[in-house]
Amino acid sequence: MDSLDIEVRRIIYDGFLAQGAAPGKKLIARLLNLPEPDIDAAFERLGEAHQLVLQPESREVLMANPFSVVPTAFKVTCGTRSWWANCIWDALGVSAMIGQDGVVETSCPDCGEALRLEIKASRLQPAEGLVHFSVPAARWWEDIIYT
Amino acid sequence: MLLFRSEVHIERWSETWRQPRGSLLSIEQVWGLAQAWYADDRRRPGWRRKTMAEAQEIFTSLGLTSPFWQL
Repeated sequence: MDSLDIEVRRIIYDGFLAQGAAPGKKLIARLLNLPEPDIDAAFERLGEAHQLVLQPESREVLMANPFSVVPTAFKVTCGTRSWWANCIWDALGVSAMIGQDGVVETSCPDCGEALRLEIKASRLQPAEGLVHFSVPAARWWEDIIYT
Repeated sequence: MLLFRSEVHIERWSETWRQPRGSLLSIEQVWGLAQAWYADDRRRPGWRRKTMAEAQEIFTSLGLTSPFWQL
């Protein structure tokens, strides 16, 4: 992983953690005073290394796990800020990464009933719910968006 | 990786959408996965993805030892 890739990764995660959003390639190029093709290439390398998941056409960030750029069925709130997460594992991961109390809101895919998980002082509070993993672990990255 | 109300709901969803039954985890197990996977700061220059062996060790520590969880 070269130093540009590491710096781009840091800027993306900083964006999510500080502002709840990933900066786009144009902004990153401006911040680093580099041509956009250099940032395009860094994004592709990070994508190939499974450190980012890119949107299929724009090649902007879709996921920087545990964060999603687009709205999903998993909303995480820590304090006054909220993020979208990619799945229930990632939703709990947002609270673990931020290191603050958090609330995960989603709904049962079968009946639609609202489901809520709360983390307080790094402890998951007792709650209703059971998690289903559809895809065996060895095959997760065959189609990470489906997984 | 979806959260359901209960196993009954998972069974009904699997049947309705013709999805194979995969692996069922408690929310506590998934919290364990989340902490093990995401507590390390990904902004650190030295951060790297877990190796297969490291990931397998995490799964084993959480009781995830069936073939579904073999990498």
